[in-house]
Amino acid sequence: MLALRAALVRLRARPGRALLAAVGIAAAGAMLGTAVTLSYGLGTGFDRAAARADLPDVLVRFDAERIEEVESRVRRLPNVEASAYRQSFTGIGVSGGSGSAPRATYEIVREGRRGYAIVAGRDLRRADDEVVIERGLSREWGVDPGEEVVLRSPRGFALPLKVVGVAVAPDNVAYPLANKPRLYVSYEGLKQRRFEDIELVNTALLWVNDPERTDVTLTQARVAGFGISNLRFVTRDGIRLLLDQAAGIVIALLVAFSLVALGSAALMLAASAQAEVQRRLETIGVLRALGFTRTGVVARASLDAALVAVPAGALGIALGALVALGPSARLLETLNELPPGRALLGPLALAYLGLVGVVCIATAWPVWRATAGPVAGLLRGAELPSRRAGPRLLGGAVGLGARMAAARRGRLAGTVVVLGTSTAVALLLLALAGLFERLQNDPGTVGKRYAITARLPPEDAGAVRALPGVRDAAPRYVVEAADSFRLGTRLRLVAYPGDHTAFENPALAEGRRARGAAEAELGVGLASALGIPVGGTLAAQLPSGAEVRLRVVGLVHALENEGQIAYTRAGPLLDASPGLDSTMAVVLRPNADRAAVERGLRGLGAVPEAASGATTRSLGFLGVLASLLRVVAVLNGLVCLYALVQALALTAVERRPSIAVLRAAGAGRGDVALVFLGAAGLVVALAAPAGVLLERVALGPIVSRLAIDYAALSLAATPAQTAVTVLALVLVAGAAAVWVGRRIEREPIVAGLREE
Amino acid sequence: MRAGLAVVLLLGLITVLATIQGCARAGMDQEPAADATYADRDGDGVLAREGPAEPLRDRTDLAPAARPGRELARFAQITDAHVQDEETPAQLKVLDRFGVSGSFRPQEAMSPQVLGEAVRAVNAFRPEAVVVTGDLIQSAQANELDQALATLAGGTVRPDSGAGGYSGPQAGSNPDPLFYRPDVDAPRFPGLMARAQEPFTSPGLRVPWFPTLGNHDLLVQGEVVPSGRTRALATGDRALAELDPNERLPDGVEADNVDELLAGGDAEGVEELLDRELPGRTRRVAADPRRRHLSPDELMERLRQASGHGPRGAALFDYAFDLAPGVRGLALDTARRDGGPGGVFRPEQARWLARELGRARRAGEWVLVFSHHPLERAEGGARALALLDQEPGVVAAVNGHMHRNSIRPRRSASGGYWLVTTASLIEHPQQARAFRLVETAGGGVALETWSIDHAGAGDTPAGIARQLAFLDVHGGRPAGSAGSRLDRNARLFR
Repeated sequence: MLALRAALVRLRARPGRALLAAVGIAAAGAMLGTAVTLSYGLGTGFDRAAARADLPDVLVRFDAERIEEVESRVRRLPNVEASAYRQSFTGIGVSGGSGSAPRATYEIVREGRRGYAIVAGRDLRRADDEVVIERGLSREWGVDPGEEVVLRSPRGFALPLKVVGVAVAPDNVAYPLANKPRLYVSYEGLKQRRFEDIELVNTALLWVNDPERTDVTLTQARVAGFGISNLRFVTRDGIRLLLDQAAGIVIALLVAFSLVALGSAALMLAASAQAEVQRRLETIGVLRALGFTRTGVVARASLDAALVAVPAGALGIALGALVALGPSARLLETLNELPPGRALLGPLALAYLGLVGVVCIATAWPVWRATAGPVAGLLRGAELPSRRAGPRLLGGAVGLGARMAAARRGRLAGTVVVLGTSTAVALLLLALAGLFERLQNDPGTVGKRYAITARLPPEDAGAVRALPGVRDAAPRYVVEAADSFRLGTRLRLVAYPGDHTAFENPALAEGRRARGAAEAELGVGLASALGIPVGGTLAAQLPSGAEVRLRVVGLVHALENEGQIAYTRAGPLLDASPGLDSTMAVVLRPNADRAAVERGLRGLGAVPEAASGATTRSLGFLGVLASLLRVVAVLNGLVCLYALVQALALTAVERRPSIAVLRAAGAGRGDVALVFLGAAGLVVALAAPAGVLLERVALGPIVSRLAIDYAALSLAATPAQTAVTVLALVLVAGAAAVWVGRRIEREPIVAGLREE
Repeated sequence: MRAGLAVVLLLGLITVLATIQGCARAGMDQEPAADATYADRDGDGVLAREGPAEPLRDRTDLAPAARPGRELARFAQITDAHVQDEETPAQLKVLDRFGVSGSFRPQEAMSPQVLGEAVRAVNAFRPEAVVVTGDLIQSAQANELDQALATLAGGTVRPDSGAGGYSGPQAGSNPDPLFYRPDVDAPRFPGLMARAQEPFTSPGLRVPWFPTLGNHDLLVQGEVVPSGRTRALATGDRALAELDPNERLPDGVEADNVDELLAGGDAEGVEELLDRELPGRTRRVAADPRRRHLSPDELMERLRQASGHGPRGAALFDYAFDLAPGVRGLALDTARRDGGPGGVFRPEQARWLARELGRARRAGEWVLVFSHHPLERAEGGARALALLDQEPGVVAAVNGHMHRNSIRPRRSASGGYWLVTTASLIEHPQQARAFRLVETAGGGVALETWSIDHAGAGDTPAGIARQLAFLDVHGGRPAGSAGSRLDRNARLFR
């Protein structure tokens, strides 16, 4: 208790320094809080929603069948705990609240397990006028339980239904990220209205006893499903993958970024603590001279650090969590996932303990090392400037400041590391923002490299390639085929005369790229449905009745056609069906004039069409992401500012006598500021290129790899982004120098001279 | 004095031995020998051997329960092993997807190994006799019978046929996802098909065994009478790889109703498919003359020679035998010679059966009747049952064919008897059946019976076969072939 009281007294004795340390810890804590909130919330969002919604382990879709026919087959499957059946249809529009949609997805659900979670109101009963709507629709149109929506068919039929509940089902993203709103109606209710065709089902939901053995169930389901048309399986993992492909690129990038930020915060804390110890070496020497043991000195220093870290860390983490919570929750809602709620407290508490621990350890370790040598040396070393001459830098006040900064190489290195990392993080943020922009507009980011398509015969490929701004052009053949052994299973064959990766580059999940004429890359979904591994053979029946057999050499993550797709060379398809139709796929050169290319295509007699990105175009969604980025960016700027102020303040304290002499010799406010600008300038001069390099060769590639392998995402910052970042860094450095200079100036000259 | 002591000791020894023997026959071990059974208690599709074993349940439909006493007979039943040459071109495996039962089974390549492990388990039960109630082989092929008889006899069994190694639709390179390919499909067992072709050692039955005939022993795929066409197909070098649904189906059969036609096990449909040019895409296989289809006479003679039991030179495989002193076994041949999977009990068999039953009655023997087909489902089987109904000494009619455990009481004026149907070795639950006939207080008998798991375990071919059989959507698990507890381990009072 005495020690605690003494520590509080010490803190009160130097409130400015304590406050500075607290601000640094709070900034790092805020970063940590943001990182934990984002990574935990987003990283566990799907599992949380899946558990709450009782999402099935396998979702089976097929052409409408009698339920008895489907049930009899499902009953034969091993490892199935429970099943439920639905009919899903999309022919009817809906209106309600402030919105309407020409087409909505209706799920006719039967009694039993639902596969969705009710988050407001209640579930359906057997009434014929009830509907449960998805949360996205409720939010977007402002429709709540108790209100009404109206189903409207194209033929003018209108059916008002009472909204009794709001549901979340993470088997798809939410409206409007999904292009159709989803509504659930009761089979038992519709039956009372004597609707036609509701006896059929086209979706089976399966819950398995052992999810690890879902593959065994699927193997048997393939066999049992023979005779049912257009059979498609999606597992819970597959749903996660589909969501990942729709929006998970973004989530994974944010989670990856959070991890980077976490490391950056830890580094900053360690550097900050070390600097603090350096500043207190003299005190440590005195304590040792007074007979304090090493352990006692370390404990004292750790207690001092903990007293600052405990409140500052809590404040920072709470702040970071609060700031990130809103955008994170909105993002989760968009993905039909659920926020972590109280479950977030655990990871935040762990982060908090880790933060305080890092501060204490980072303080204790240098103190422990500092107290290892003789006390006299410690006392001397605390006062003596470096004997080595500083590097020959600029002359004048700026040069003096640079030499001052350079004299403490350890501190300089620490500050450069922190600033460099922050710079790299800032560049990553800008690159992310650019990527989000491209995700909206540029199909290339999600696997498609061609930007324009045009109806032109294959022989015009040369003429198209000759157009200015065109990098490549080739006919793209798309064939809707069927599996030869299960004619009901439809698949899409996409073929180019040569290497398809120049035009479409879905990320390879397994195996290698197709190179030979009779080789194919299969979408993971298709491979799963047909049980074809790498090395297997795809037998596809073309609409002409001819069959092609392709050796599967790779599996790819593909969004198109729900992954029921295969990429191959056009040769075998044209051999089997010579009259196949194609469109010209056009890849543009970087910075090409798109309009000019389109004019050129029109000149060839074609109507050019823009190839669209396969991911979301929701501005709202990207807006949420932007706000998340803003949160992180503000925190990152704070970190930079703090690191610079910390470094300059330290220099100022150490060089009080020198600065006082300078002021006594007539140096004005501007000269003092120039000294600190010089010190800050050296730090920035070293940190900026280091940060740029770090982002380009390490962080960008790491985050890209962590994010997703679906597409070759370039996260290298552009020159403009780099320039903006460096400029911001210079401005932050200037602000820090001016601030520290003003503080020094408020001090009487004589105080510094007395110390000398 | 010494001589007197020696005599006393000798008499004492004799008394002790007799007591031990008497205890053994009195059935000191009245429960199943195994202390565990295979079950999927957590429903994850994996069979695990767990205890305790199912106890015998008293079934008193025909007589009240009474204390079991002296053991009269101890024997086992093996049925529907369907040992098969899974590489044969004469098995239209593509029919499986249309629901034609038994056209293809994921575990079929391991049928010889499963039989071998069933033999091992039966030997452990230490029976006095084993009755093999038909469908020992799958498709009347000579090499199938070679493998089955070698397995029952003991020694090295060579399951491979054609060229060395596996060549068939279960190869990992086959693009047809409707065949289970252990190299690529879950649960994955890389190299299983190659392992299934390797020679293995069977322990062989250590006691006399008595065969009856099943439809698969005599007919191609259990349906079709072997002919020149089927023999050429079996020994030829082309196998049907894919059924062409559009062009080459039997006359009058459209692609839309092919499944309806075949799902009913329509013998004519299968026969027509077999008896014509292969109706679809074919693949080349290594021809093997050992695959030739056997004639009924040839098959019966080989069975008789291998087992040492059965009529010599008779048209039908009906015969009587002693299961134990005072316990008579009657083997009935219910396999049709004119095609089709169903059973038949012919008028001339009625005369033979009546004669044998009368003989047993006069000798005061208990009678057990064995056939492949259940008599109540066989054509003319009612006549056989009527004969059995009249005999108070008949304890049970035991059969296979249905691939399902079932025990039903048959009441009659003379006291009734039990109809016992045993599941197959080829499909889930892959079990044989143990029997003990014991006297009961009051002059009756009780037939104790329980299922015996084959001894294959873990990642052995037979162990894997058990797991695959359990998973098969067209197999015994979804069909409920294991039956209820009352159909498996029971004490049947009579």
